[in-house]
Amino acid sequence: MEELIRTALAATESSSVLHADVRLVAPERFISLSVRNGAASALTDGRTEALGVRVRTRNAWGFATTSDLRPGPVREVSHLAVRLAEAAGRHAREPLRVTDDPGPHGGRYETPLQKDPFAMPLDSVVELLTASEKALHVSREVRSGIATFQAWEENKWYGSSDGASFTSRIVHVGAGLTATAVRGSNVQRRCVPSSHGGDFAQAGFEFVEGLDLLTRAPEGGREAVRLLDAPVCPTGSTTLVLGSAQLALQVHESVGHAVELDRIFGSEAGFAGTSWVAADQIGVLRYGSDAMNVVADATEAGGLGTFGWDDEGVPAQKTPIVHAGVLVGALSSRESAAQLGLRRSGGTARASGGDRAPLVRMTNVNLEPGEFGFDELLEGVSDGVFLESNRSWSIDDRRLNFQFGTEFGRRIHHGELGELVRNPIYSGMTPSFWGSMDAVGERSTRHLWGLPNCGKGQPSQVARVSHAAPVARFRNVAVRGG
Amino acid sequence: MVARRHSSRAEADLGAAARSLPSPCTGDLRLVRSTSTTIRFANGRIHQPHLERSTHVSVRVADGKRLATATGSDVSAAGIAELAATARSLSRIAPTERKFPGFAAPSGRAGRAIAYSNSTAGLSPERATAIAEELLEAASSEAPGARVAGVVTVGSESLRVANSSGLDRDTARSFAVASVLVQRPERDPPVSGWSEGAHWDASRLAPARLGREAAERMARTPPRAVEPGAYPVVLRGPAVAELLRFLSHLGFAANGEVEGWSCLARRREKRVAPEFVTLVDDPRSRETLPQAIDFEGSWTAKTGLVEDGIARGVVTDLLSSGRLGRKLTGHAQPPEAPWGDWGPVPCNLLLAPGDADEEEMVRECRRGLLVTRFHYVRVVDPGRGLITGMTRDGTYWIENGEVAAPARNLRFTESVLTALAGITMVGRERRIFSDGGNTVTTAPVATRAFRFTSATLF
Repeated sequence: MEELIRTALAATESSSVLHADVRLVAPERFISLSVRNGAASALTDGRTEALGVRVRTRNAWGFATTSDLRPGPVREVSHLAVRLAEAAGRHAREPLRVTDDPGPHGGRYETPLQKDPFAMPLDSVVELLTASEKALHVSREVRSGIATFQAWEENKWYGSSDGASFTSRIVHVGAGLTATAVRGSNVQRRCVPSSHGGDFAQAGFEFVEGLDLLTRAPEGGREAVRLLDAPVCPTGSTTLVLGSAQLALQVHESVGHAVELDRIFGSEAGFAGTSWVAADQIGVLRYGSDAMNVVADATEAGGLGTFGWDDEGVPAQKTPIVHAGVLVGALSSRESAAQLGLRRSGGTARASGGDRAPLVRMTNVNLEPGEFGFDELLEGVSDGVFLESNRSWSIDDRRLNFQFGTEFGRRIHHGELGELVRNPIYSGMTPSFWGSMDAVGERSTRHLWGLPNCGKGQPSQVARVSHAAPVARFRNVAVRGG
Repeated sequence: MVARRHSSRAEADLGAAARSLPSPCTGDLRLVRSTSTTIRFANGRIHQPHLERSTHVSVRVADGKRLATATGSDVSAAGIAELAATARSLSRIAPTERKFPGFAAPSGRAGRAIAYSNSTAGLSPERATAIAEELLEAASSEAPGARVAGVVTVGSESLRVANSSGLDRDTARSFAVASVLVQRPERDPPVSGWSEGAHWDASRLAPARLGREAAERMARTPPRAVEPGAYPVVLRGPAVAELLRFLSHLGFAANGEVEGWSCLARRREKRVAPEFVTLVDDPRSRETLPQAIDFEGSWTAKTGLVEDGIARGVVTDLLSSGRLGRKLTGHAQPPEAPWGDWGPVPCNLLLAPGDADEEEMVRECRRGLLVTRFHYVRVVDPGRGLITGMTRDGTYWIENGEVAAPARNLRFTESVLTALAGITMVGRERRIFSDGGNTVTTAPVATRAFRFTSATLF
């Protein structure tokens, strides 16, 4: 592998090239087991290999990739990367600037595993999924049951023209259940333990065992059916208590993406969008209430955004993003950090594989816990709703106006959880919403959720990220039934 | 784990590999080769040029009616044999798919490539860069000082499918896709305009026209706030394309029909739109990015979805046609990525053109909105076809038949069925829009009532 990287780097040597780095991801494995309504909707064992060459000339980047790992095709894509950079730089008015982060020299990072999902027989996993899916069908009104298991293994070799190098083996796993109950056009869904495929972590199969899917499946099915008869969520401005899973997605959409420096600088304007945050507001912008503290922590054990070094060879870091409600940091790559005037990158340049160039991505962007127990959060609510488990999500291209639907809600009356409500939707504007957060749950309410489907970039890249979130309370939020 | 090194990439005979699966196994194999160049630009420079050469092979094995798939990138005979062994091993533990009809035997003939441009497929990195520069420069000269951002993607893809019943077919297509945003981020609030297009022949992409169009669509004066509410709307092509994609998923995807949550489940063969509305899925049309076969090797064909306003049936692949007991329509996706909740979906939508143009649609509107495109559209409630999303990059207030002023962006929460039923006019000039997965060929559309539920600050 090292020889192949040397071959690729040697082929980038040109008077115009200031820097080159090569990532070889081989193999990247993916196991996806899905049982749907008693049949195997997809049992897949995937294996890919890709080498990506990135070069930097005075004015531009170039990136080329191949899945053919013979020396000839590898040299060819190196040459193509140089040609792309030279063509792209022809009309650039200003030189590219990057931070001068020193790279590692020979480090290795590996996911600690108890039960390696790629070294175990899969028959017991399929049996677990089949039994769990069957257990969702508590009623004929459960028209769809889905049980899924996914595992990814990424073996990476990194080398650069500066002599930096590292290797890593990262394993992600996750699983979940979905029950969909149907009565006419009334369609209700409950996921276990949460939506977007369940829950995911950087861990071995022991994490999936801990999800206890088989035991929890019947209640998932029953809740979907109960929702068919539940009243529609009432409309009004009210106190909202958000569960940990929904709050994790709220952090993702209205904080994580908004503080990506490439969005802030307009590099993503033509696709994902920009940000309501301006670069010169870092350090002064009031993002939320005093109770709001957010970090980007690529060192948290078990996170999908945890690694040894990012895809530019910058070490994993824990970076404060919001402190006591004030924006204090952002997610950055070597280029965007230099654009902001920083000496060092924040180490959040990640690529979804060897066939993609690194972009500014989330790592584990976490809302720090507060001091309130769950019951204490409810105690302060005379009339409100508790919402949990995402059903729909949408936010504008500057990450301001959002609207989220959840799978279920519970009314809160005088500090107590009350009846179930269906089709709840809440909406707001990012700064005023976070400004209305008056109580944050203590550590016991916190959970590190894995999200395996964060899309960004052209060509498309799907990143796996995590968010730790407690339960939290928000005042005067617009809530309605959809 | 140590990756394998390919000492030889001599391509295996896919048909022979399919026929050599050990009895009683059957199966199908897919080989996808693609080459593409993507040139992204922003802030006046090309910032992310990307060239990709990839090979993907997938082997699906059925042990009786137990199915599993293995995928990889090694196309040698040994590599494919290894994938077949992996898939076979996995299939032994799969639950039984009782309604699996078996792999289709070959029948009929059709063209291998419906529309293919050699010059597009072979475009050099420098030429692809030049197209992006043309787009960038056209937009910049039309709107000096504005931020211009966008992308050009050109390339080609070949697909070969073989199965144990003797089917062995291949196809190829070329593609060129571009989009451009022109923005004034320094204004308070920021304003922007947008244009996009796609074609299988890069020489017909008209990048300069797209650049100028995006600049023209950017507001010259500060946008005014519009109260949320239900308004008639004139939807430009990109906005129509997004609504039709969601309609096709919510109403014409197979899984929704199998499981009863399709928003059209109880409305088949009933009127869902005015008589002049016809929507088809036609992967064989040269007015889309055509594909002659699907990922199971079935010939693709024109499928009516809404014909003269009447809702027709869903699209199918082998499995869903077996489950539903309906005919195979040739809409299989790769079995390793069966599109999550949806199953097979229409991917080459064409809305029949009308006879109006955008100006006429605006003239017919007393008070309403002109929408260029939507952003971040998601399903709120599949059973009712309810979706939500934002307007973006060129929203205008219409009053007394004229574009009166730029409008701040709004969030809509509306059923695709309401939008469909309310169509009052369809434009005559169609364009191809591609989001990478789905291609939609459509003209602008006017619809009677579209519910906006909140507003944003810009």
